[in-house]
Amino acid sequence: MKADVGPLPGPVPQRRSQKEATRQRVIASARELFDGLGYQGTTIREIARHAGVSVGSVFTTFASKGEILSEVMGARLEPLYAELDRVMPHLRGSTVDRLRTMFAIHFEFEAQHVRLFLSHIAAAYDWSLATTARPYGRTPRLQEMMIETLQRGQAQGDVRDDIDLQEVVDLLMATYAWTYRLVVSAEADTKALIGVMDRQIGLIGEGFAPRT
Amino acid sequence: MLLRRRLNLPTAFAGTPPFSAAPKRRMKHISPTQVAVDAPTRAPTRRALAKQQTRLKVLAAARRLFSEQGYEGATIRDIAAAAGMSTGAVFANFTDKSDLFREIMADDMEALTAAMRDAATRGRTAEDAILKIFMAGYTFYKTRLQLARAAFSVSWDKDGGPTLRGMSSSAAFQDLFGEQLNAAVERGELSQEAEVKLRSQMLFDTYLSNFPQAIFEGWSLDALQARARDQIRILLAGARRG
Repeated sequence: MKADVGPLPGPVPQRRSQKEATRQRVIASARELFDGLGYQGTTIREIARHAGVSVGSVFTTFASKGEILSEVMGARLEPLYAELDRVMPHLRGSTVDRLRTMFAIHFEFEAQHVRLFLSHIAAAYDWSLATTARPYGRTPRLQEMMIETLQRGQAQGDVRDDIDLQEVVDLLMATYAWTYRLVVSAEADTKALIGVMDRQIGLIGEGFAPRT
Repeated sequence: MLLRRRLNLPTAFAGTPPFSAAPKRRMKHISPTQVAVDAPTRAPTRRALAKQQTRLKVLAAARRLFSEQGYEGATIRDIAAAAGMSTGAVFANFTDKSDLFREIMADDMEALTAAMRDAATRGRTAEDAILKIFMAGYTFYKTRLQLARAAFSVSWDKDGGPTLRGMSSSAAFQDLFGEQLNAAVERGELSQEAEVKLRSQMLFDTYLSNFPQAIFEGWSLDALQARARDQIRILLAGARRG
């Protein structure tokens, strides 16, 4: 297919598709290793060995371990967004309830690969990482959805008008991420995580409810 | 046998009283003449002292390297070199890198908890006291952000996390928020149904969650304070009376 491109000299398309194949193999191996061994436990060397490529070729595509993780996480967010886009418009009830549903979808989504998600959080504090590769917390689409939900709440009267919505979103995101500590410290399962998050959202909801 | 007993000494010092008391008692009965004959018995004290100094030297070097190169970047070999000793000497004092790091964290957390408790006494309301606790923490780490970053990284690790979170200094740290809330309930400032446990956990999480802004975005203490105040207000709103 790519041979049709024309002006490009012969060997390049092949090299390019080879590079893409390497990239895919590296991402797939990395996903598995981060999930099994965590962020600190996974090395680029191990990723290369697992993918059956040289360490050098990993570095021609990615600048760092954190960047590989960024790619892994980015690639898997699409289905989550698709699910949220499908569900959110149909939700009824209070703002607190809608937020609860939204986060429950998250926990269920991450449930299969909790360790991977923990890697994701750990990488947010990696000293050697360039800020552009910092994977956790860069979820503009998700934050947008939450702002929309809260604005709808303001329109229907269960969210205060004089509250900084971005601050509420940040608080929800922080609470969400930190709830995963229960996986590290108490080996909590998805149901337990959702239960705790529901209570926490209820508490934050008391904070954004209009004053009576 | 004797050699083994001497090697076991450091563990005995850290152990339960009956064990650590034993060598001291034995020392008392040594007469000056015996010392000359039985020199090895005296050795542990001097050795223990030297060992203590070695420990402190290693800890200082490790603190510097963790700050400069992060947790992953600092190796035991570098730490040993910076302390001017062999890796063997480091391993004689610490089981591994995570052991070293925990020790540093425990020291910091104890110092910080004391500073926070002190700051809290100057707060008139629960909101005020908790804000002062937050700010004591951010001020403390403002000069050691790289170390804070290393601590966060370790705390999400599957092995490092449970140990770091399970340390007694870590628990004392978290209790601070509960203490403030309970005191406010007693004063009648917060309702009896304040859900102290959940709320103090969330306050602690929120306190931690602002570190990325401090570390990566270089937020000023003023900016952190403004944000923290809003967060604390949201989290306390439902617990207020009336």
